[in-house]
This record gives sequence, C-alpha cells and structure tokens, in this order.
Amino acid sequence: MPVRVVETTSPSHSSGQDLSSAQPSPPSCSLLCAGRSFCGTQNVSSLQKDEAWKVNVRIQGCDIEHGFLCGTMEALNVPLADTPVVTFWEGEIVDAKNHTFFTGKWEATPEDDIRHWSKFPSFTPLLSQIEDDGGKSLDLSNYPYIFMRWKEQYFVNVGADCGLTIAGFYYVCFSCTDGSISGFYYDPNSSPFQKLELKCMNAKPGGFSFSSYELV
Amino acid sequence: MPATAAVAPPPTAPEQLAARLSSGDSDESLLPTLREIKNQIIGNRTKKLLYLRLRAVPKIVALLSSSSSPSPVIVQAAAAVGSFACGVEDGVRAVLDAGAVPHLTVLLSHPDAKVVDSAARSLRIIFQSKLAPKYDFLLEENKTFLLSLLNSTNENITELAASIVAHSCEKPTEQTSLCDAGVVQKLVSLLGGSSNQRDTSLDAISAIVKNNPEVATKFVSISNGKAFNSLMGLMQDRYPRTRLLACVCLISIEQAFPVYFQEMQIKTKLILILLDLIEEAGRVGDEAPFVLKGLIGESEELHRQALSVTAAERLCGYLRKGKAVLEARRLEGILLVLAELGLKLEQSRAQLIELQVPSLIIDLLKHDCAQVRVAACHVIKNISRSLKHLCAGRFGSESIVMPLVQLLCDSSTSVQTAALDAICNVAVNLTTKKSVLLQSGGVSILCQLARSMHSEVRLKSVRALRNLMFLLDRKDKDLILTELTVSTLTILISDPDPLVQEQALALAGNFVDGSGVSTKFIFSEDISIIDAVSRQLKGECSPGMCIQGMFFLANMAAENESQKDAVMDCILPTSLDLSISHPNSFLVTFLQSKERLLRLSTLWCLINLVNPDQRNSFRVSALQGAGIISQLKTMVNDPCLDCKLRVRMVLERCLENRE
Repeated sequence: MPVRVVETTSPSHSSGQDLSSAQPSPPSCSLLCAGRSFCGTQNVSSLQKDEAWKVNVRIQGCDIEHGFLCGTMEALNVPLADTPVVTFWEGEIVDAKNHTFFTGKWEATPEDDIRHWSKFPSFTPLLSQIEDDGGKSLDLSNYPYIFMRWKEQYFVNVGADCGLTIAGFYYVCFSCTDGSISGFYYDPNSSPFQKLELKCMNAKPGGFSFSSYELV
Repeated sequence: MPATAAVAPPPTAPEQLAARLSSGDSDESLLPTLREIKNQIIGNRTKKLLYLRLRAVPKIVALLSSSSSPSPVIVQAAAAVGSFACGVEDGVRAVLDAGAVPHLTVLLSHPDAKVVDSAARSLRIIFQSKLAPKYDFLLEENKTFLLSLLNSTNENITELAASIVAHSCEKPTEQTSLCDAGVVQKLVSLLGGSSNQRDTSLDAISAIVKNNPEVATKFVSISNGKAFNSLMGLMQDRYPRTRLLACVCLISIEQAFPVYFQEMQIKTKLILILLDLIEEAGRVGDEAPFVLKGLIGESEELHRQALSVTAAERLCGYLRKGKAVLEARRLEGILLVLAELGLKLEQSRAQLIELQVPSLIIDLLKHDCAQVRVAACHVIKNISRSLKHLCAGRFGSESIVMPLVQLLCDSSTSVQTAALDAICNVAVNLTTKKSVLLQSGGVSILCQLARSMHSEVRLKSVRALRNLMFLLDRKDKDLILTELTVSTLTILISDPDPLVQEQALALAGNFVDGSGVSTKFIFSEDISIIDAVSRQLKGECSPGMCIQGMFFLANMAAENESQKDAVMDCILPTSLDLSISHPNSFLVTFLQSKERLLRLSTLWCLINLVNPDQRNSFRVSALQGAGIISQLKTMVNDPCLDCKLRVRMVLERCLENRE
C-alpha cells in the first residue's frame, strides 16, 4: 500500500560546512569550501606574445548535494584594465549525479570535453569509462581529484564593455591532497588551452583556517 | 391624498426582551419576543454580545427542551440559537455551555418538518465552529445516527451530516470506520445535489481522505472512477466556492495517494484554477493562495510546473495591482506562495528577483497586520538563499536591510523571529562593500537579542552574527565582539540550548579565522573563550557542537606559537584526567567518531598543531603521549578519502619532524 512519506527535514541550505553524512557520497573535500582562497596565474599567451595574469579565486558558496559551487575570480595586472578585474563564476561539480564529464552546452562538444579533460593527468584512468555517456555510472567519491566546470557569469567591478570576455568557461581539476587547482579555459573564439594554475592559500601564518555561514 | 406612512414601532430594549424570557412561559406568547431577539441579533455582533451578557441564551435553549413549547416557539428558539453561534466565538461557547447540541439533536426527529429544518440549520452553524464538540464516530450508535441523517430526504439534514463529518473526522481509525460504513458513497451522491450539499460534501470527503492512503484508494475506485471524475468536473463549477472546495478535495487525495496523480496535467490544472480563484471576492479569494501553497508544498517538480504556467508573474501582478487594497489574509497568502516558490529552486529565485519581488514587497514589511510582515520576511529569507545574487549584493542595500532591522524591535515575537531569519541570510556579505548591517545599528540589536530569554531568538540572532562575521575584516570582527562582549559569547557557548551552543561556537570560529586575532579577546584573567570551548568539548556535547568547537581550535592553532600552546593545553589530558585513568585526550574519541566532519575538524586541528614550527617536536611528543598518534596510525585507511588524506598529512609532518 503506498504510504505518503512526510518530510520533516528542513530545506537544504548552502553552508560553508556540510554537516550531513548521507550515502552515497558525492565527491567533496574540506579544502573546497566557502571562504577558501586560491592564488596563482592564468596563462593568456597567444601567438603574438607570452602573457600571464595573476589570479585570485575565492569560493563563496558550495552545495555538494546539488553539484554546485560559486565564487569570485580576480585577475590582476590585466593590461586593458586600471584595476584588478573581478568576476563572479558558477561551478558544476562532475559527480555523475548532477553533472557528467560531458558539458552539453556552451558550444562544447563531447570531443571538446574529452580533449580538455585529457589534458589533466589525473583524468587518464577514467577516460575509458566516460567515452560513451560522460561517466554517468562513475563513483568519484573516493577519487583524489574533483573535476569541475567554472563559468563566469558577470563582471563585479567593471562594465561589460571593459574589453574583456567571459564567454568561455574553465575545465577545472582540483587536487584533494593539497588543494591545488589547474584548469583550461575553453572559448571557441579565444586562444586554446589557456592554463589556470592555483594553489590553496592560508589566511593565517601557522596553518589552515576555516570560516562558515549557514543560510536558512 | 398622501397619507402619513405607517411608522414601525421602535425596537424593544434588549433588557426588556431578555426579561420577558424569564417569565417562565413557553407558549406562543413568547413568539414576538423570540422573533424580535432573532431579528436584532442577525448580522449584529454587538447585539449578540449584549444578549449574551443578559444571559438570554440559557433561557432560549431551555425552550428547546420544554415539552410545553409549541412548534413555532421551538422553530424561533432554534433559529435564535443558530444565530448566536454564527461568527461569534463567545456565542458558540454560550450555546454549547447551555447544552444546546443534545436538545437540537433530539429535535431532528421532531414530527414537525419546520422544527427539523430549524434545528438542522442551527446545528450546522454550530458545527462550522472549531469550538463545537467532536462527534465520536467510533461509537456504533453514533455512526448509525449519522447514516440515518445522510439517508434523509431533507436537504438541511444531509448538509448537517456532512458538516459533522467535516468538523469531527480526524483520526485514521475514524476515517476508515466511516469509509467502511459506506459514508463516502453517501457523500459522493450528494455531489449531485444542491450547491450547499455539494460544498459540505466536498468538505467532508476532504476530511475523510486526508493523509489516509487506504481511504483515498477506495475513493478513486468508487463506481470505476466516476466519483473522482465528478470531482474533476466540480473544478469547473460555476460557483467559485465549489471550485475551491473541489481543489481542496483533490489535493487531499493527491497527497494521500500520489501515485494516482502521476500525470502532471491534473496538478497543472489545479495550479491554474487556484491562481484564477485568487481574484475572486471574499473568502474564496482569501483562502485560494493558502490552498495553492499547500498544493505546491516543497515539491521541486510542482515549483517548476508553477513557474512554467507563469504563477510568479501572476502573483506579482496581483500585488502590483492591489497590494494597497487587498485584504491582509489574501496578501499573506500570496506572499507565502511566493516564499514557497523561492525556497528550493535557484531558477525560481532568479525569476522572482527578475520580477523585482524584493522592491515590490518592501513596504509590506511595514504592513499593519503582523502575519503580512512575517510573510514578507519569509519571501526575503527564501529568495536571499540565492548565492549568485548574494554575491551581486542584491540583498545588501539599505532599502532591504533597514526595514528588516526595524522589525527586530517589532512588538510581535513572530515578526521578530521572521526578520531574524531574513537578516541571517542577508548578513552573508559576499561582496567587497561594507555590510549595511555594520552601519545601521543592526549589530547592537542583534547583540541585545543574543541575550534574549527566548532560546529561539538567541539562536537566530547568534546565527545572524555568525553569518555577519564570515570573512569580515579584523577591525569589524573586533567591533562586533566588543559589542557582544566576551562574557556574553562564553555564556552562549554554554547555553542551555545545544543549537545555540553550536552557533556560538561557529561564531567564535569565524571570529578567530583570519590573521591578527587579538589575544585580549581570547584570553583574559576571568573569562576565556578557549576555556569555555574546552569545557564544552570535554563534556557531553552533540557532534554538531564538537565539530564547531574543533574548527575553533583548528583556527586558533593556525595563528601563532602561543595560541598553538593554548590549544595544546586544551586538548591534552589534565592531571585530573590522568589520576582517574583517562590517559588519552578526548581527541582520540573524536577521531573514532562515525561523524566524518568531526574526524575532519579534529584532523585539521592536529595538522595545524604540527605545522613545521619551533616547538613542533615538543608538541608531537605530547600528542604521542596522549594516544593521538597511535589513533592516527589506525586511520591510514579511513573510509573517507578526505580524512585519509589529512591523516597522512599529520603523520608525514610528525615523521618530518622526527627526521
């Protein structure tokens, strides 16, 4: 006899700390949480010249259950700008439940996807399992790398006419071991494979610290 | 030639009329008195209350049971009783206290049809009140009596029977008992009757099927689905009230038997009809949004469906057209539906923000009706769950924050707590601009509320302060803690409510995150935050509290040597522990916990303690002595990858240090 299950849990909220221990686990890491900062560079070289921008990234929110995260990206020493340029981005975590390795939008074909993911050495062992369906049946909960796509949504501190583009998105690989990030920017109208390399930053001199919020 | 119009005699004073009731007569001489009382009180609340004070009701009720009362007197007396019970709670109480219900029930078998009608109408009015007694359907004689009423050819009596069911049927045993007795089929047959019969029958069916899958299954099987189809047809009835009640009935069936409603079509239809009904005058329009809210509930699927049929646009349209003139109840309902839509889906929130909902409802935060203010707060709370728009600073403007801050001092506690919830979310400042809350006097009020006697108020205000403290610069963090005081924070860390403790610990953790923590806040002669945290961690505390406590210690341990030493003092066993054979630190217990986050937060504390530093070797030895290193060695294959990686980090650092 069908029985209606009455939900008594409070609505899901985004927080800087995941207090659940639900099964099966989506990929997660305590170094990938709201408040965490990363810094490094993005290589924006073209045939004409070598160039790299310093980049700072901060995670603003993380909803592991829905495979979502977001944050800001600050590019320094941008030639076209007087000040650092800050953008807001939204990320998709490849967890086989909410998102697979296949993008399915943003003008990225499965071939483009495989070509970019294959640039990460950590992706190689997974290639054979994703070629057919993007990895829908993969269990990534115990894999020491988290794969994401980051898509910039808008400029925070400059106008959209600043001469810069946010039309593309990043294929991102995050190392759960040390919190380092590498990424490749994809935009059919930009130089290919612009590389993003970031390290996890500590706000404190003596180790890692954590800050959190809880939305109701 | 024109003649002077006949002038109606002036109404007799209530005192006189009430006095005549005391004459002891029960014959037809009382008829004019009863008629006049009845005519005076119909639709007149003031007169009803006056006659109540004159104790008219017991005297009138007595006439119902007097064997010498002629039928016309009983008819008028019953009508007057019904009128007293109509829309006035004190009137219902007086009628019930006077014992009217049993007398009226007996009159249902009276040989005079007019008496029966009058008694039935009055009983129906009484049973519309929540104060009316519950009818016990589990008593066989009661069930039999109810069935006899349903079998009557008298429309008033069948309506009464349906009202009794609608009012009294609550428990699953009652629902099943009535269903087995064939009451549902009787009610279904009334759906083809008069408008009143249909409406009361719909009410009664809703009560019988509510949350009862077994009864709902039987209902949909009646006459091979014809009963269900009748309900579907009534959704299009020409009377708005009938359409509303049909929707309520269908929703009750859907919630009890969702499998039957797998097709989205019916639910979409319900949404559209209810959206239309919000435009209807009177109670139907007032109640329709609440029914819609009940339908969409917390179902993401239904939220999506509602959005696809432009529910958000229509609701905003109602607000734009008439929020200044809409009844408070209807406003509240519309706001609650908007709040519900913003609860779960980011696409909903995005759409509501695009429709300028925050600007649309800002003035409703100052509405006269407290429930409207509460509902407006809920809308802001739910749509501010959008991280994308929090990052864009959409909820940080003065126009939104200031009215919410003002509501923190509202005379209604429910408004205060709703405002606190909204502020909790808008306090999360993900922009580079300074939070308006820091400049608006909001911090002072939040700190005061953190000392409230009500634990719910303390909880929400501490949570708001925690969120405000997230990634704040050091100067503003210090200002907040100066306002709150270390003393208050340590009291909150030991609050009787574990949820408050947890938020206070998280607030403390956020405070010590980031560099430049002033020791004056952490250590002092009399009060020490770290001592308060330590006491909690060593006592009986929930995993949530332990997690926040360990993150606090982890953050402390990331600062400098003296703070690492303080954390070591906290986690190492004291001489008291050693004297009672507890050689191990409580951290060992935490590392053995099934809670992944507790193991993790503990590991991060340890990683920071063994961060390559001057006094590292001393700390490593001390941790060894406390049983922690041994425990870590058993965790190299922890089932949680994150924990496994951190265990290895700690052990590698300990090994480096030894080398």
